[in-house]
Amino acid sequence: MRPVTAILLLMLPALSCSEDSIGQAMRLTVRPVLCIVDERSRACDMSFLVVWQSEESGYYCVGNDLESEPLRCWTEQHSGELTDRRNVLADFEYWINRGGDAPKLAVVTVEVLRMDSDDRRRRRRTRHVWDIL
Amino acid sequence: MKICLARALLIYQSLQLGVAAAETPDAATASATASAGGAAATESRWRLGAAFGYGLRSNPLLQSDDIPIVVDLDIAWFGERFFFDNGDLGLTFLDNAQATASVVARVNSDRVFFSLTDTKFVSVGLTGEMLAADTELTVPDRDYAVEMGVELLTDGRWGFLQASAHHDVSGTHEGYEIDVSYGFGWRNQRWYIEPSVGFAYKSEDLNDYYWGVRDSESNAALPAYVAGSGVNYRGRLLISYQLNRNWSFSLAADYERLNDDAAASPIVEEREVLGYFAGFGYRFR
Repeated sequence: MRPVTAILLLMLPALSCSEDSIGQAMRLTVRPVLCIVDERSRACDMSFLVVWQSEESGYYCVGNDLESEPLRCWTEQHSGELTDRRNVLADFEYWINRGGDAPKLAVVTVEVLRMDSDDRRRRRRTRHVWDIL
Repeated sequence: MKICLARALLIYQSLQLGVAAAETPDAATASATASAGGAAATESRWRLGAAFGYGLRSNPLLQSDDIPIVVDLDIAWFGERFFFDNGDLGLTFLDNAQATASVVARVNSDRVFFSLTDTKFVSVGLTGEMLAADTELTVPDRDYAVEMGVELLTDGRWGFLQASAHHDVSGTHEGYEIDVSYGFGWRNQRWYIEPSVGFAYKSEDLNDYYWGVRDSESNAALPAYVAGSGVNYRGRLLISYQLNRNWSFSLAADYERLNDDAAASPIVEEREVLGYFAGFGYRFR
């Protein structure tokens, strides 16, 4: 039982959404944070829900590293959310800052996981007992 | 060895978590994960993983124990030509858009059942007749066979097909096997479902070596038996949910129906070989 509990505890980062925060001052949440592509779907095409919450009201901007400009900015707000549709091929990040070149207050990485392979041999059925991986 | 590896994996994962926790406080850029492994990442030649959970595979042999599975390792390396895949050694001589063909050396799979058998003294024969005295009933021992052959892989939107023909090169059974498998995988983001079916033709020599009973092995409780060739059929269903980049949860169910001649052997008690496994899989990426 203990090994199972340990494994479950170690897999807590597997939650379907991810957060980043500095202390409790800013919380940035993105859902989902994992997009899986394979031979039938070569690119990740989905909508991402980005939610932020701050302890203090102010001017905040949410962006990602795919765009040079912020996706949206809020004035005198302490929370907000937006939906961002993307078609991406690789990992990227959502971030929140106070606008312009201000430092990022929180960052969340969206992972694009490739489950296909150009090497057909990787899909061969072995007589490996369960071959489930 | 399997338990040691499991511990090593847990330690490795713990270290990863420790690093993430240490980075988080100071970092405006404290992303939870590294950004390696996207589409642009080069595929590693290694494929390493392990599954932890519980599974069982029934043993069709008389007086045998089912085969428990708690840890399942996946160790493979794929080079330009050569590859190693969980005990199989291969040399690829054809690889194009339509198909991949390799010469493969492997170990026969029928032998796996013969490791978990018991010896009993019985007073009743296999057909129900009373024996004159208590008689030892033992499933004969069988050796692993090294087989070499050709394997063809092809795939498309219609699924994937694998065909192979292998002959014994170790002088163990001196027979051959022809195997064909077809499968189809559906993915909906984290969910993956893959049913597959297949059959394996086993030559007379192969079948008789593993499932026959030699005169020298027979007694009042275990009659001699000669097995001819036959075809095994099998089906499999895999359901998997990807938890994150490395971890997944999988359920697998497996069914194999032994060929007529193997099933009729006096050392075989059950014709169907059933299996299941449920557990967490870790893949190094």
